[in-house]
Amino acid sequence: MEQQVKRMEIRHLSKTFFSKKGYFTAIDDVSFDVYDGEFLVILGPGRCGKTVMLNIIAGVEDATEGQIIYNGKEWKGLNPEIGMVFQKLALMSFKTVIENVELALKFRGMKKEERREIARHYIKLVGLEGFENYYPKQLSGGMQQRVGIARAYAANPKLLIMDEPFGKLDAQTRYQMQEDLLKIWEKEKRTIIFVTNNIEEACYLGDRIILLSDCPAKVKEVYPIDIPRPRDMVSREFLELRTTISDNTDLSI
Amino acid sequence: MDRMSSGQKTVRTVLYWGLPVLAVLLIIVGWITFSASHPDLMPAPVDVWDRFIRTFTRPIAKTTLIGHAWASLRRVLIALLIAWAFGIGFGILIGWNRKARAFFGSIFEVIRPIPPIAWIPIVIMWFGIGEFPKVLLVFIGTFVPLVINTSAGIEMVDKINLHVGRIFGGNDMQILKEIVIPTALPSIFAGIRTSVSSGWTTVLAAEMMGAQQGLGSLVTRGWQGSDLSLVLVAVITIAVIGALLAVILQQLEKVVCPWNSK
Repeated sequence: MEQQVKRMEIRHLSKTFFSKKGYFTAIDDVSFDVYDGEFLVILGPGRCGKTVMLNIIAGVEDATEGQIIYNGKEWKGLNPEIGMVFQKLALMSFKTVIENVELALKFRGMKKEERREIARHYIKLVGLEGFENYYPKQLSGGMQQRVGIARAYAANPKLLIMDEPFGKLDAQTRYQMQEDLLKIWEKEKRTIIFVTNNIEEACYLGDRIILLSDCPAKVKEVYPIDIPRPRDMVSREFLELRTTISDNTDLSI
Repeated sequence: MDRMSSGQKTVRTVLYWGLPVLAVLLIIVGWITFSASHPDLMPAPVDVWDRFIRTFTRPIAKTTLIGHAWASLRRVLIALLIAWAFGIGFGILIGWNRKARAFFGSIFEVIRPIPPIAWIPIVIMWFGIGEFPKVLLVFIGTFVPLVINTSAGIEMVDKINLHVGRIFGGNDMQILKEIVIPTALPSIFAGIRTSVSSGWTTVLAAEMMGAQQGLGSLVTRGWQGSDLSLVLVAVITIAVIGALLAVILQQLEKVVCPWNSK
C-alpha cells in the first residue's frame, strides 16, 4: 500500500465569491492528494464549499486561486476522465433509464448497439435490470440514485466524484446503498472522491477521510482508516474512530 | 377509502359520463326555449340543421361548407407550419443565446402585447385582402406565443443539467439537442397549443374583414344578409374544428413527450 500513485493533487485551492455587498470565501487554501484506486471521503459539516470544490475539480467552475494537478500535470477546465454523481440526482426526466446511462457514450458518438450494451452492463451492476425503459419519475429515490451511479460508471471515468449521493435517502435505503456501492467499487475499481456530511457514512466507506472545517472550508485533519471491510458499525474500533472525528468536527446547525 | 363496491363504481361511472351529457342537453333545451320565445333573435336548432344541409345543396361563393372550412383551415395550417419553424427556432435562439436575447428581446417585448387583430388594418392597407395578408396575419398571431413559450422553456433548464452535459463530455450542440430542447418540449407544446387556438381566432377575424371563402366570410355573409342560421352553422363548425384540433394536439403531445403521461 505504500507505493501509492497520486492520481490528483489539489494545491492551495481557494474560492471567493465577490458581490456588491462584499465578498464571501467558500474555500480557503485547501490542499490534498487523491491516490489512484482509493476511496477518498471528504467529510464536511458545513453548508459551504463542498459542491463548489467538486465543481472546480470537475472543471465546470474556476478557482480563485490554486492549482489542480492531474497525473502529474497541471490541469485546467473540463477533465474528460472525471465522472460525477450528484446529490440532486440531475437525471434527465425525459430520458429513460437506459438513455440516461448511455448519455456520455452518445456524446462520444458511439454506435447505438455498442452503447446500449455498455449501458445494460452498468444497469445490471447497480441492480436495476428490468428497469431499462422506465422514466426516472417512476422509480424510488434509491433507484434513481442507482441510475446516477450507473450513468457515471458508463462514462468510464478514471476518477469518480460523488457529491453527497445518499444525502436525500432514508436511513434504511442509505445503508443498503453504501453496502452496494462498496460492492460495485470492488468489482470495478475506480478512484472515488465521495463527499458527505455524515460521519458514520464516512467511516464506513472511506480508505481515508479528509475532514473539512465549516465556512470557509479548510482541511482540518486527514484520517487514514485501517479497519478491514466489511466494517462493523458497532465494533469498538469503528466507534472510537467515529468519536475521534466527531469530537474534532465543527458543529453545524 | 379507496375500495368501492362495484355498485358505487357504476354510479360514479354513470355520473361522470352523465354530467357532460346533461350539460349539453341543458344548453339545447335552453336554446329551444329561447328561440321559441324570440324567433327574431335566435333560430331554432331545426332551422340551423336545415341551413346546415342547405350549405351542401346550394353552395355559397361556389363552394360547400366543407370548402369554406378547408379554406380557413388551409390558411391556418400554412401559417402555422411557417410559424412553428420560425417561432420555435427563434424561441430557442433567444432562450439559449444571451446576445440574441439582448438584441431581439426588447423589440419583441414591444411587439408582444399587440393583439394580432390590431394588425388587420395595417396588413390590409399594405397587402390588400388576398390570401397572403390572411396567412401573414395568422403568422403574426401564432409566432408570438410560440416564441414566448419556447424561450421560457429553454430558460427553465436547470443549471445542474447543463453541468451534467458538460461533465459527460457534450459540446454545445449536443447539450442543446439532448438536454435543453427536450426539457423545453412540454413548454414548446404549450406554445403550439396556444398558437393553434390563436391562429384559428385570427383567421376568422381576418376572413370577416373580407374574403370570398372561409368560415369567417360565412359569418359576415350571414350577418349582413340577416341569415342568423348561417351564422350559427359557421360558428358551430368553428367550434367543432377548434375542439378537434385541440384533441389531435393532446394526443400528439402524448406521443412526443411520453415521460409526462407515464
